[in-house]
Amino acid sequence: MTTYVYGITRAGRQDLPEDLTGIGDPPLPVRTVTGSGLAAVVSDCPQELRPKRRDLIAHQQVVTEIGRRAPVLPMRFGSVSDSDDEVRDVLAEHAGRYEKQLEELAGRVEYNVKVVHREDAVLHRVLAEDAGLRTLAEANRASGGGSYEQRLRFGEMVAERVREREDRDAELVRETLAPLAEKTRTGPENAGCFLSLSFLVDESAARRLLTETGRLEKENPHVALSVHGPLPPYSFVE
Amino acid sequence: MSVVPVQQGGGAGGTSGLYDVLELVLDRGLVIDAFVRVSLVGIEILKIDVRVVVASVDTYLRFAEACNRLDLEAGPHKSAGLPELVGDVTESGARGKTKGALSGAAQTVSDALHQVRGRGEGQESGTRRSASRKKEESE
Repeated sequence: MTTYVYGITRAGRQDLPEDLTGIGDPPLPVRTVTGSGLAAVVSDCPQELRPKRRDLIAHQQVVTEIGRRAPVLPMRFGSVSDSDDEVRDVLAEHAGRYEKQLEELAGRVEYNVKVVHREDAVLHRVLAEDAGLRTLAEANRASGGGSYEQRLRFGEMVAERVREREDRDAELVRETLAPLAEKTRTGPENAGCFLSLSFLVDESAARRLLTETGRLEKENPHVALSVHGPLPPYSFVE
Repeated sequence: MSVVPVQQGGGAGGTSGLYDVLELVLDRGLVIDAFVRVSLVGIEILKIDVRVVVASVDTYLRFAEACNRLDLEAGPHKSAGLPELVGDVTESGARGKTKGALSGAAQTVSDALHQVRGRGEGQESGTRRSASRKKEESE
């Protein structure tokens, strides 16, 4: 039986609920493997582990449970060890590095901010900024929307302006929010938005991040920001 | 404000906010060389993460159509229509509406949030749209 690892914390500090379960169907009981002053939170690994959404959420729930009690180094989903003994070996080998990171991350949380454009609003915006585009739009409308070729050409120009706005708005959001965080990291690209940023903040500084996010959206009505957190510091462990 | 986890405990009602950050669970987090990593081929989560490609014929035509419509709403000499724009967006923002945003995933996020809200005010979710937050603050 292989061992699935959720996260690493300090030994004796996690005090997890006895009935905590993780991945698998039915969900497998969660336990700890301790060594070198550290504790790896683990469960048995199902025979066939696949990245089902339910298991992803189970992984996240276990890491969150640990993080509510003590600083945690969250594992990336799908980390499987041959045995509990191998987990102990890893803890021993990297104890210094993990201790240091746990120290640095104490009292810190991750917030992830995703940014998209509100389509109608951003189209308004790019037309407002470009007299040439407005003239083209007027001409197209005067001829009943224009020919297929005209619409295609016009739409492509609009799309180019929208992409430019994405760049400018991404820079604006980054410049506004990054100073509020201890660290900033760009999120994975497949997140369905033109900008995903993760921020490492002291728990007490989180409110300011939310306030500034709200202000950004108010001042830039074509921009929609969604804030997710507090999260375990996925983007700030190595 | 109090700092609340995105997800509280193991109840089925507490997971909606998690869908928005699963890419972090997949692509971030500690990697240990000695451990095997599960293959991510065929992963379900990617289905909600397909971004609408801005550089496509469909998008060009949709933008052209949308601009045509926008101008009609704003009047021929008010293409710049930013005052109306602010009003429109504030209104739609207050409803937590992201329909028409350039991202299918954004719609998913919005839907998930509606589900959370639908479960009643007592259910705390750490995921906040700042639009709804503004609304809270203005009340």
